[in-house]
Amino acid sequence: MTDDKDVLRDVWFGRIPTCFTLYQDEITEREAEPYYLLLPRISYLTLVTDKVKKHFQKVMRQEEVSEIWFEYEGTPLKWHYPIGLLFDLHASNTALPWSITVHFKNFPEKDLLHCHSKDVIEAHFMACIKEADALKHKSQVINEMQKKDHKQLWMGLQNDKFEQFWAINRKLMEYPPEDNGFRYIPFRIYQATTERPFIQKLFRPIASGGQLHTLGDLLKDVCPSAITPEDGEQKIQVMIHGIEPMLETPIQWLSEHMSYPDNFLHISIIPRPTD
Amino acid sequence: MAGEADFFLEEKRFKQYCEDFVKHSQQIGDGWEWRTSKDLGDGYLSKTHFQVRNRHIPPDLKEKNNDDTEQMLFAHVEEPLDDSQAAGVCSTEEVVRYEYHVLYSSSYQVPVLYFRACFLDGRPLTLDEIWGSVHASYQDRLQEGPWDTITQQEHPILGQPFFVLHPCQTNEFISAVLGGSQEHHRHTNYIILWLSTVGPVVGLNLPLSYAKLAAEQSTDADLAERALS
Repeated sequence: MTDDKDVLRDVWFGRIPTCFTLYQDEITEREAEPYYLLLPRISYLTLVTDKVKKHFQKVMRQEEVSEIWFEYEGTPLKWHYPIGLLFDLHASNTALPWSITVHFKNFPEKDLLHCHSKDVIEAHFMACIKEADALKHKSQVINEMQKKDHKQLWMGLQNDKFEQFWAINRKLMEYPPEDNGFRYIPFRIYQATTERPFIQKLFRPIASGGQLHTLGDLLKDVCPSAITPEDGEQKIQVMIHGIEPMLETPIQWLSEHMSYPDNFLHISIIPRPTD
Repeated sequence: MAGEADFFLEEKRFKQYCEDFVKHSQQIGDGWEWRTSKDLGDGYLSKTHFQVRNRHIPPDLKEKNNDDTEQMLFAHVEEPLDDSQAAGVCSTEEVVRYEYHVLYSSSYQVPVLYFRACFLDGRPLTLDEIWGSVHASYQDRLQEGPWDTITQQEHPILGQPFFVLHPCQTNEFISAVLGGSQEHHRHTNYIILWLSTVGPVVGLNLPLSYAKLAAEQSTDADLAERALS
């Protein structure tokens, strides 16, 4: 029987084979070859694409290069969403490698946040962790930690160090013995078809009678339109880290084992492929 | 900090305070409206106005400034400009269109101020320009930890980039204003108190007449309670 801790490793080390191609209208001095990279599902585009940037800048003139941004089939990719979420939401049922287009001009101000330095990514990452702990523990655990512990979470992510990260993160996954779980579950549900970027609400992992709420309970409560009746065929897929967990899975377990490093469960609802 | 947890706001109360706020805004022509999202029924307060900014650095600030960033200061305009007035402004000044939204954060149980700003030609202000325009009295706090105060974030309902005044700071400001227990202030319009405190940080001012609304609600509610007891 697989140990639950193995799930933590599988989530951390998930990778997506990606092919980066320079946008055809970018002005180059030589032809730009595509660049192939295995992207960590749990990280952020602007954190792991320094090599991509260097590769394309080599064939461009300095004055043609401004802030890098990424696009998939016409959709600007939000760097502040974890890579795995972007893939599940936009490309999970397409053939690998994931084909991403690289831009250096015409930054889409109305769609994307700016990311001028790694500090911006760190600030965003830490803000998510803090918000998650506000939901789980009324911020008590994160506020009790020292600055160096916060730094260790970020460094663990940045340097892909599972042990370093989880040495601190395990404290964010604990709860008082008298409770059976967190106060509220940090989650966001994404559907590519809506204007609203995601749904986030207060949701308790334990029912008043003491039973564990499931993934199915969460979906019924938060976006009932997404769940079709049990006897009918599910027209949609509920995806986390590239898999469809059973709807009977306790949401507390999912929160402890399948959250992203920012401590949120990022859940994609996508159309089920018809073939 | 002790007492910080006291200043939370339930979502139903938030909506009620916003409703009262909009009613008063309509009475005095202050331009706020409530926008409801079609899918989930949640919503937010919204106001758009234009401000004139003078491109100059007063002598005392010039000494403090040791980098090349131009300090853009507000000339506070009594009446917000409408489109026709904005076009008439001369070229040594710049007109900036500000859009303010007040949303509710269920994670922190506080209201949150989102805003965006752009010049008339559509060019959005950068984060540096926004930081530079923060009111002089808040500049020290901003220098200490800019990433804890105003950052660019995705609007949770519209999905577009906005600047956000970080909710952590809300508790700091509000604790100073609502010094007593929440019980004592249970009828005070939290939104008016909160917005009048945090708004000026980012160039948003509330006319004094809102204070009347806060006091009225307080008095009416107290009278009602005394009559019942």
